[in-house]
Amino acid sequence: MPRLLSGALRLRRDPRILKLPPYLSLLCILVGVVWLFLLPRDEYSRRTYISENALLPGQVHTYFGGSDQNVFRAYKHEVNALVDKSNIEINDRLESIIKGLGLKVGRQNFTYHSAGQVHSGENVYAILQAPRGDATEAIVLVAAWKNAKEELNRNGVSLILTLARYFKRWSLWSKDIIFLVTPDSIAGPQAWVDAYHDAHDSARVDSLPLKSGLLQGAIAVDYVQEHRFESIHIVYDGVNGQLPNLDLINSVVNIAGGQMGISTTLQEMWRHDDKYPDRLRTMLRGMLKQGLGLASGPHSSFIPYHVDAVTLQPFGEGWQDEMAMGRVVEGTFRSLNNLLEHLHQSFFFYLLMQRERFVSIGTYLPSAMLVAANFTIMAIALWVKSGQPGAEVAEGQEAKPAEKSNLAVERHLFLPLGVVTVCQFLGALPLYLFNHAPESMLTPAFFIFSSLNMALPHLLSHLLTTYYAPSAQQYQLIKSFSLLLLGMFLSSLATLNFSLAFLVGLLASPLTFMQPWPRAPAMRTACTIFLNAVAPTAVLVIGATYWNLSVDTVLREAAFAWDVCGTYTPVVVWCVWWPAWLAGSVTVLGRPDERDIKAKTA
Amino acid sequence: MNGGKVTLGRTAGLYLGAAVLRLALFVLFPGLPDLLTGRVEISTPVTSFKRLQEGLFLYNHNVSPYDGGVYHQAPLFLPLFSLLPSFSSLPIFTYLLYIVVDLLSADALLKIADSGEAGSSALFTSPRREKRWSGFVIAAVFLFNPFTIATCIGRSTSVFTSCFILYSISNAISGAPFTSMVALSFASYLSMYPLLLLPPLLLLAYDRAPPARQSNLALFATTHVLIITLVSTILLGMSYVLTGCSWEFLASTYGVQLTLSDLTPNVGLWWYFFIEMFDSFRSFFLAVFWLHLSSYVGGLTVRIRRQPLVVITLLLGIFAIFKPYPSISDTSLFLAMVPLYRHVFPLMRYTFLVAAIIVYTTFLGPAFYHLWIYAGSGNANFFYAITLVWGLGQSLLVCDLTFAVLRDELEVERPEMVGKEIRQI
Repeated sequence: MPRLLSGALRLRRDPRILKLPPYLSLLCILVGVVWLFLLPRDEYSRRTYISENALLPGQVHTYFGGSDQNVFRAYKHEVNALVDKSNIEINDRLESIIKGLGLKVGRQNFTYHSAGQVHSGENVYAILQAPRGDATEAIVLVAAWKNAKEELNRNGVSLILTLARYFKRWSLWSKDIIFLVTPDSIAGPQAWVDAYHDAHDSARVDSLPLKSGLLQGAIAVDYVQEHRFESIHIVYDGVNGQLPNLDLINSVVNIAGGQMGISTTLQEMWRHDDKYPDRLRTMLRGMLKQGLGLASGPHSSFIPYHVDAVTLQPFGEGWQDEMAMGRVVEGTFRSLNNLLEHLHQSFFFYLLMQRERFVSIGTYLPSAMLVAANFTIMAIALWVKSGQPGAEVAEGQEAKPAEKSNLAVERHLFLPLGVVTVCQFLGALPLYLFNHAPESMLTPAFFIFSSLNMALPHLLSHLLTTYYAPSAQQYQLIKSFSLLLLGMFLSSLATLNFSLAFLVGLLASPLTFMQPWPRAPAMRTACTIFLNAVAPTAVLVIGATYWNLSVDTVLREAAFAWDVCGTYTPVVVWCVWWPAWLAGSVTVLGRPDERDIKAKTA
Repeated sequence: MNGGKVTLGRTAGLYLGAAVLRLALFVLFPGLPDLLTGRVEISTPVTSFKRLQEGLFLYNHNVSPYDGGVYHQAPLFLPLFSLLPSFSSLPIFTYLLYIVVDLLSADALLKIADSGEAGSSALFTSPRREKRWSGFVIAAVFLFNPFTIATCIGRSTSVFTSCFILYSISNAISGAPFTSMVALSFASYLSMYPLLLLPPLLLLAYDRAPPARQSNLALFATTHVLIITLVSTILLGMSYVLTGCSWEFLASTYGVQLTLSDLTPNVGLWWYFFIEMFDSFRSFFLAVFWLHLSSYVGGLTVRIRRQPLVVITLLLGIFAIFKPYPSISDTSLFLAMVPLYRHVFPLMRYTFLVAAIIVYTTFLGPAFYHLWIYAGSGNANFFYAITLVWGLGQSLLVCDLTFAVLRDELEVERPEMVGKEIRQI
């Protein structure tokens, strides 16, 4: 045993052990990616189940229908008459309709400025006070006048007016029900939810005149099509990749699929055969949506406030009509009505691959953690390597040439720390630029920035070599610190937004293997070209082209998400990924031997 | 003379730069001070600026500030902050006060560093003392440390305690033991724990006292303990008068620290233990935890008698980990004193690990706190686990520094051990 220990300790000093970490890093990245691709298999995913027993989904008989069909048609007539009117006129008419039902109505103005454009409007909402409840809790039914694709949500608004009239006649509600009609899908609900929780910016958003209790859940209805539908599409992604409690989705799937025979889909998978390719596709689409962190419907703004919310969109050609949709909503509300506390039993962090298959955080988190760990492994390896005598160029009075020194060589930390700090703080510039530029300037600003981005590493490297002449050890330390910071940010981010951490980690993984090539200009050029292809700017352009969006749209949406919803994806891209990329590019262009030549000629 | 002038200009520039940075952060980001004041890593129940405002309001309306059960800080803060113009109308004066306190602390630190006490105390001279950072660098590291800046912007009142501790040390080094003791009594009055720094500070003052004052140690110690007792009594008497001639403030200020009645989460170890503890065991565990905190004083003072400044530094580190309501302010004070020992850094074995742990936990802590409190998807265990790792990082730093200092002393006593690997038998 002692011999084994001393043998292991001697191995500690063996220089060959430092050849291992790059392979270890590569292994981590590969295992992380492969792990993700294994998840849709039956052995690694689980069937969904209802965790909160109070929900009892699909157990109630839903009575919506019959004469409510006529009421719906009447409200639809009203809504059709309002189609071309202004926001204020629409709200005036809706207010008078709802007041006629006997509900209290409130209105709220909001004005958001983003990318030089003004997004303003007025929300109108009504509170149905539970006749036998104590007004300490509420559930929300939302219909946006225009949905996320700017289509008119006629049936949705008509449906919630009908449901308002229908719900008023029941005395079994234990929570207040709030009916919210917003002019658009993102700014309106965000303004309303912020004001409801008193977290709004008074300069941009008015306070709410009426409030009820704590919000326990929200359902948004997005019913655009005029003909009968076949299935319901559930949209559940929230801002910053936060998801509602899985129980809510399971309840809706259960209620729609059980009594009513309406199938449900996720992530715009209009056809899903529950085989591996479709499951993988659902999971990857979900990850992409989560990673971008944008609001995908009226429900997204509720989720950061710990209010579980989903948007229901009927689609397809079938024989289910508005009454069926109404019954789904009624059934869900009856289930939410049973809750005594916030949904907390089921998972908050999950990846759905099919409406009844998911993986929870314990199963998928290691993949992002491995990708983040690869940076940390490389950072530690580089730190140890920088302390070894071979790295220091002809200056080491510290290193004893004869015996193998047990102590590390002194590390000159100031320059690497300075370079990494400067790179990190430089990230604030593109962040400020892209969030505050007016829309007309966005595309030219982006292209100017991209060209500057290609030139910047060369400029910085030239400055470094001329004024500071860093040694090989200092380049190793620059890379070590930059990778350490990257690993740290990504592991912290993985707990908050797994998909963003995974995607950024994957795109930044080439940085682990970058190093100076003082004597091989061909490798240096190849690495520089490769790095420029995986730079944040390049990825943005490639992504925009692949999904047929203009760069202008992408940047405008990003600025809107930052200004209105508080999405922090731009911060991660420009203040975590880009500085690491910059430090990596500067390292690749580094020429540590120049110092040797200078020392010899001086 | 020329060199002195250059240094003075450089130091003034440093202070100006630090003041401008803090002022810029206060003015350009109006939401930032309140955001940072609300964070549990910066504000604790005994140092929070929001609670100070509450106490101030009650004080200004002739109600005892301790009636609300929210204010747990020293009574003498109240007249001090009442002198400043009202916070709601003119916040700039409060900001300037905190910036001035930060600069005073940096100045005291500069004096400590420039005296060279760290490298060569009265009884021990390190063979490595040439490799040191100047006072300018150490003051710069303190002033631009993100923890210090965050504490200043968050307006935690522990900056006053830190300032008095640093003044006490710098006066002890420059041969003014009386002023040193007065500063220490102020620091102990504000927060209780600086009183535990008395033994090493006495030794430091004694070692560095002008020869005229250096009688024997016992006499020196007795006189100065009497000075502290006297000044503390005066301060407590003033507080008694201030709070309407009653001693109730003792229970709300020192009592809260002794009995841990406020269990708001913080970056320390205590709150989690005491939340889940049955009442019958409470007093026992309180005694154990306080005994643990105070147990290091005697051992370290006796063992490292020859370098009292090291003892003070190590104790500040231990306090940052084990005191009842720690915050990043205590860590920033400890991290301000550590660079004084630059000359033993090559002997330290875990610098990278410690730096990585501290940086990682600084980001993971708020992330898990957000998941616990705001997103509702985590629980207290995640946050507490990260604060344990934070404590682990600081403990590693304390132990590593102790090792390095002891190794340094060993190399003077036994020159044949230089460069040899230390193996634990």
